[in-house]
Amino acid sequence: MQARPRPGSVDNEMGFTELLRRIFLIDLLEGLRLTFSYQRPEAIYTEQYPLERPSVAERYRGAPRLNNNPETGETLCIACNLCSLACPENLIVVAWERTEDRKKKLTTFTYDLSRCMFCGLCEDACPVDALELTQDFELAHYNRQDMIWDRQKLEEGPQPTRYTR
Amino acid sequence: MTQSALQFVQTHPLVLATVKILIVFLVLAGLVAYLVYMERKVLAFMQVRLGPMRVGPWGLLQPIADGIKLLLKEDIIPAGADKFVFLLAPVISVIAAFTVFSVIPFAGNFFITDINIGIMFILAVSSLGIYGIVLGGWASNSHYPLLGSLRSAAQLVSYEVAGGMAIVGVLLISNSLSMVEIVRRQSEMGIWNIFVQPLAFFIFLVAGVAETNRNPFDLPEAESELTAGFHTEYSGFRFALYFLAEYTAMVVISCIAVTLFLGGWLRPFQSVRALDFLDYAPALGLLGAGAFIAVFGLRSRVPMERLVLGALAAICVVLALGLAVWPAALNAVQGIFWFTSKMMVFLYAFIWYRGTFPRYRYDQLMRVGWRWMIPLALANIIVTAAVRYWLSSHAGSPTAWLGG
Repeated sequence: MQARPRPGSVDNEMGFTELLRRIFLIDLLEGLRLTFSYQRPEAIYTEQYPLERPSVAERYRGAPRLNNNPETGETLCIACNLCSLACPENLIVVAWERTEDRKKKLTTFTYDLSRCMFCGLCEDACPVDALELTQDFELAHYNRQDMIWDRQKLEEGPQPTRYTR
Repeated sequence: MTQSALQFVQTHPLVLATVKILIVFLVLAGLVAYLVYMERKVLAFMQVRLGPMRVGPWGLLQPIADGIKLLLKEDIIPAGADKFVFLLAPVISVIAAFTVFSVIPFAGNFFITDINIGIMFILAVSSLGIYGIVLGGWASNSHYPLLGSLRSAAQLVSYEVAGGMAIVGVLLISNSLSMVEIVRRQSEMGIWNIFVQPLAFFIFLVAGVAETNRNPFDLPEAESELTAGFHTEYSGFRFALYFLAEYTAMVVISCIAVTLFLGGWLRPFQSVRALDFLDYAPALGLLGAGAFIAVFGLRSRVPMERLVLGALAAICVVLALGLAVWPAALNAVQGIFWFTSKMMVFLYAFIWYRGTFPRYRYDQLMRVGWRWMIPLALANIIVTAAVRYWLSSHAGSPTAWLGG
């Protein structure tokens, strides 16, 4: 039976260059050179989150928003209720009233963010691009009640704290 | 009354010594605090992170926050601990680490005391510091600390021998144990000991890293194996003392290495007239620091930070200009500047090793120590002694070969 080489014993077949490498600790020096080179400022990978926010992908589906007409400031929503019907979780509640000329007028719009899975079907169903899933991703709240967004909150969007430092 | 008091202050030998001790102690405490900051920053950069950034500009006030936190924490003593020894151990560590500075010459005209057995004193006192670690591990009455202190004791026995023998090579050249005299000898020879004793320098460096329990020899506090090693059971102020002792020990080893091998407070290539412009390095260094602070500080978004850092940069520039036009001041800071710069290189190297090398296994540690370091150190002593004897018997003066 062949004897296993003792761990750590110097191999007899070790070449001359290998011997020199060991004596002058070339491997250790190479390691030192590598770690030293990582100190370049541009190598830093850290993103200082609350200070600098990442830009998420264009197709990212985040916080819902109810869009207003930028010129008149009135809501684009026509209270058609299609988003509510499209929602697999039934978390959108649309309420409306009829005006004198039999037109639907939006009264309340609630969106339960705690049940939302951000599938985007409501967004697809909307015929007037009033409901939209935006790229805002800071959706943490202190209690469940706050996660049910009313019309005002949906129009304003999330308002995370901005830090100067 | 005031006359005699003034005379007392001016003539009593204890007054000047006390002032020097206070300066050294306070500067060192601050240095150690910012050494921790430097370590966290450098390690972070090596790991492509940023490190502390939240407390003050670029996390510059982090050491103060850490210090306050450690001081205010609860001081827990384990139920089964040997209370007296448990309380005593960290104090031993700190005292031993700080006592060493009493014989280190920071400059030709600034040292607390110069005793003729300086390096012996350092070896003796820094070995006492190990008692702090061993006793702390023992008194904790817990498994991890005990294993940590056991390893520490074994490691110290192995590497103290090699480190001590490496120093002997230097002593053979210097003819003296006094720290000040060792530097003066290097000045007379016109060459630093590192060029005469490169092997001794290497062995001393390795032994120094091992003695301070730093990577890759941090077995006594290997966190992946022993939680925190010997100070697992320590918390609050007593943990801070151990922390202080460890980083002070780093500074101590750096200071000794600078004094013994890198010419202490001497300027690089002091004998080369062509390099005399290096005398202006302190002014240049201050100017560079001022420019650096200005460039980074004025970019800050916080008005207060811009104000403070801008003022700091202005002070640096004014001091630099003052040094440049006032030769007496330049001469006064010369020694301190070079000593500190060399020391910082060593401290950086300590951190650099920690960012690079994996920890040795216990048997590897022992093998490196006993099979390589100690025989190499012995061989170095024999060769140095033989060469010295041969040269002295031929050239008459024992140091004629070095022009001394």
